Amino acid sequence: MQDRSAKKIKLLNVLREIQKKHNYLPEEEIRKLSEKTGIPVIEIYSTATFYSMLSTKKKGKKIVRICNSLPCYLNGSLNILEEAKRLLGIDINQTTKDGKFTLEVTSCIGCCDKGPAIMINDKLITNITKEKLRKLLK
Amino acid sequence: MKTLQKTYLKAWKKANKLGPEKTIKILKKKGLTGRGGADFPTWLKWELTRKTKSKERIIICNADEGEPGTFKDKLILEKNPENVIEGILIAAYCIDSKEAYIYLRGEYAYLKDKLRKTIKKILKATKSDLYLEIIEGAGAYICGDETAIISSIENKRGYPNFKPPYPSQKGLYNKPTLINNVETLANVPLALINKDWNNHSRLFSISGDVLRPGVYELKIGTRLEKIAKKVQAKNPKAVYFGASGGCIYYEPNLIIDQKNLCKKNVMLGTCSLIFVNKKRNILDIAINIAQFFTHESCGKCTPCREGNIHILNLLERIKSKKATEKDLQLLEKLSIIIKDTSLCGLGQTCTNHILTAIRHFKEDFQVK
Repeated sequence: MQDRSAKKIKLLNVLREIQKKHNYLPEEEIRKLSEKTGIPVIEIYSTATFYSMLSTKKKGKKIVRICNSLPCYLNGSLNILEEAKRLLGIDINQTTKDGKFTLEVTSCIGCCDKGPAIMINDKLITNITKEKLRKLLK
Repeated sequence: MKTLQKTYLKAWKKANKLGPEKTIKILKKKGLTGRGGADFPTWLKWELTRKTKSKERIIICNADEGEPGTFKDKLILEKNPENVIEGILIAAYCIDSKEAYIYLRGEYAYLKDKLRKTIKKILKATKSDLYLEIIEGAGAYICGDETAIISSIENKRGYPNFKPPYPSQKGLYNKPTLINNVETLANVPLALINKDWNNHSRLFSISGDVLRPGVYELKIGTRLEKIAKKVQAKNPKAVYFGASGGCIYYEPNLIIDQKNLCKKNVMLGTCSLIFVNKKRNILDIAINIAQFFTHESCGKCTPCREGNIHILNLLERIKSKKATEKDLQLLEKLSIIIKDTSLCGLGQTCTNHILTAIRHFKEDFQVK
C-alpha cells in the first residue's frame, strides 16, 4: 500500500495476538513491541489496560467468561456463575491454583437468543446448563 | 429474510455505471437510514464525507455490536458478509476512498477468518484496490460510539470525543471518515437494486422471557401485541427497548415506530426488544443494568463514571428496604444529571431505564 495510514500499526490487533499466545500480555513482550514499533511502553500499557479482553496480569490457561447482561441474566446466568464458582473453588476475577482456569463476568457477548451463554477463551458456548458446565470445567 | 438476500455485486456494478452522484441520489430517494440506533440518513453521511476537502477519505464499518439484547449484526456477518463488503465497496466508490476498516468486536473474533476470506474473494472479483482491514476490538462497549471507535483504531484508549468536528469532517487520522453500521452497509446494495426495498423493514433482536427468541425481520409500525404473540412472550409485564440505553415500557397496543415511541419517551434505537414477564421485579433488572454501566463507563466524564456507582448503591439500598422517599428522589435527580452532563451516547442514555422504570413501574421501587 502506498498510503501511509494504512501502513500504521494497529496496536489492538497485535495485542490481541500476544494475548492469544500467552493468555495475558507479558511485560517482556510489551517491551519488545515498544522497541519494534517506537510506541512508548507507557502508551502501550495505557491502551492495554482499557480493554477487558486484554490483561497485563497473568491469567489461567482458560479464561471462563460468564455473560451476565440482561438477556442472559433473565435466563439464569447467576445460577451458572454460582456453579462455576463452586466447581472451580474460586471467586470472580480469580485463577485456580493449578493455573488452569480464570473466572470472569463479561458484558453481553451477543448470544441473547441462546442464553445463558459463556465464553471459554475465544469459544462460545450457548444454552449452557450446569451439567454442560461441569463437563467443560473438568 | 430480505436483509440476508445476496446481491452478488450487481449493486456495485450498477453504482459504477451510474456514478457517485446518482448512486447517492438513489439512497436518498429510497430513504435508507443508519441502523446503529441513530437513524441518521445514510446518503447525507456519505454526501458530507464526500464533500469534505481532502486527498484521502476513510471508511469504518462499525461491527462493534455491544448493546445487550442486540445480535442482528452478528447474524448478518454470519449469513451475508458479502453484502456488507459490497456496501463498503459502493461507499468507497461514492466517497472516493481507498482505505477501509471493519471494527469487529472482540467477542465476535470467531467470525474473523470467514470474513477475511470473503473480503479477499470479493476484492479479487472486483479487482478493487481498496485497502480493507479487520480491526479486532477487545471488549469495550464504549467503542461502538463513533468517536470512541476512532480513538480505538488510533491505538488509544477507547475514549469518545466532542463533536464537532464530526468524523465526516475530521475522523480517523484526522481524515474525513464515513462510519456506517453493519446492517446499514448490508442494506446499501439491496436498496440500490431491489425495487420493493423500503426503509420500514428492520431486523429486530428479540430476547428475554420469550419462548422463541431470535432475529426477526419486521415492519416498522407493527403492534407490540403481534410481536409478543409471534415470539411467544410469556405474560409480558414490560419490554426493554435495548437493555442499556433503552427505556422500559409496556402497552399491548403500542405501535412500534419511531414517532409513536417518541411520544412515550421511548427510543427504538437498534430495534432490540427484551421481554420481561410478570414474575420479575423491575428493581432487580435495574440493578443488573446498573452493574453493566459501572463496568462499561469509560471513565472520561465524572458524572457517568462516579454517578453510575452511586446509582447502583442507591438501587441496592432500595433492594435492602433501607431506602426512604428521599433516596428515590436522589436516584431520579442523579439519573437526570448523568444524562444531561455526559459527553457521549452511553452517558446520555444510561439512566433512561431507571427514569422510565420509576415512571411506569413505581410499585417495584418500594421505599419507607
